[in-house]
Amino acid sequence: MTSLRWVAVVAHKDLRIEFRAGGRVVAMIALAVLACFLFAFALDRSQVSARHVAASLTWLTVLFAATAGAGRAFDTEEEDGAFRHLLLTPIPRHAIFLGKTAANLVLIWMVTLLTFIALTAFLGLRDPGSLTHHGAVFLPGTIGLAATGTFFGLVSRHSSLGDTILPALTFPLLVPVIFFGATASARVFMERPWPEISGSVRLLWAFALGFTAVGCVLFRYVAEE
Amino acid sequence: MKLEARALVCDYGPTRAVDSVDIAAAGGSILAVFGPNGAGKTTLLRMLSGERKPDRGDVRLDGGPVSGSDPAWRSRVGLISHRTGLYRKLTVGENLAFFATLHGVADRAAAAARALDGVGAGELAGKPVEQLSRGQRQRVALARSLMHDPDIVFLDEPFTGLDPGGAEALEAMLRACREAGKIVVLVTHDLRRGLELADRVAVLRRGRKVLDGSASEHGAEELLRFFTAGGGAGAEGAAA
Repeated sequence: MTSLRWVAVVAHKDLRIEFRAGGRVVAMIALAVLACFLFAFALDRSQVSARHVAASLTWLTVLFAATAGAGRAFDTEEEDGAFRHLLLTPIPRHAIFLGKTAANLVLIWMVTLLTFIALTAFLGLRDPGSLTHHGAVFLPGTIGLAATGTFFGLVSRHSSLGDTILPALTFPLLVPVIFFGATASARVFMERPWPEISGSVRLLWAFALGFTAVGCVLFRYVAEE
Repeated sequence: MKLEARALVCDYGPTRAVDSVDIAAAGGSILAVFGPNGAGKTTLLRMLSGERKPDRGDVRLDGGPVSGSDPAWRSRVGLISHRTGLYRKLTVGENLAFFATLHGVADRAAAAARALDGVGAGELAGKPVEQLSRGQRQRVALARSLMHDPDIVFLDEPFTGLDPGGAEALEAMLRACREAGKIVVLVTHDLRRGLELADRVAVLRRGRKVLDGSASEHGAEELLRFFTAGGGAGAEGAAA
């Protein structure tokens, strides 16, 4: 069996559990909808148009929802000691990491999509720019978020401070992702041409692949005693 | 087949959990490791199974080094612990199918059904784990751990929470493992059951091995003396 198949098996198991349990999915979705709802009240739309704040609002919401979700990614592994048995299976450690990252990624994409819908519903954003360009920005950005969140989600489990340490560990590392992601998204919302966006997207891919590769290598050292 | 550990040491910060322990288990036999709480039994088991790297010493199978990082080693190991290691939101069948897939079991459905029937839990396949009693979960965990036919079986307090029927099923499975030539290492507080099953016994106290010998040579009363502070006369000398 190839590593890719193992990744799919682990991700499928995680998603099946998440959708049955519901808690983590509901928490992430509630956070996204609430953030858009509150911004709709806070913004004076006679002074600022929705498309000017849409990029920062979307990335902020996705960042918080992703961090909240990552903190709980290992709850189901720990509740009856399943992680010990998962680590005793012969699959490579990086397949476990990538499988859990893939499951996180699916949940983050759900939040991202919902944030876009909430933006149009609450802020009256009618013309968000090219959806293809948005996809090209959010794909590497969310991969970076998911990989970092998954890795530090496990690190925080081994810390006596638990989930509370997670934002302090992840946010400094995610500054480049948020910076280039929000910058690129703002340009897409303002319907700027692709050459003005592509540079940031390339950097987002570099961070996404870098975080994922580092996570694959280091995961075993964190997971094993 | 022989599993040997030499001069194993494990420290948790300033605390020495396991201190220079030599131990061996042969194929077709059951080694029971006894000891009071905090004696280092579980830590020893984790080092033997490759879950934890010893700070000093090594574990060898038939003379070759054992490493938890080696997938080939992990595919030969089965673990049963007092925590079931099952996913509560999945059904019994889904749990077994998941682990069977990761262990590369060829016919997952048949292997899962066979393993469940073996522990008298065949009717539980469609039930979510969260709806099972503690004893039922432990039976399912037993099926999950033996489904891939491991050569070496590690048991960490496996009788905890088991109903009498489950305990009997576990004992029968362990005897079957012995007859099949597997290495079985059992860590338990349960002197009576441990002694009934074991071919060889060892006692740990404060991280050190204070007794090691054939189960037929040592009765429950003698083992109990080694459990308690001070142990029996000549305790250190009894360690093989």
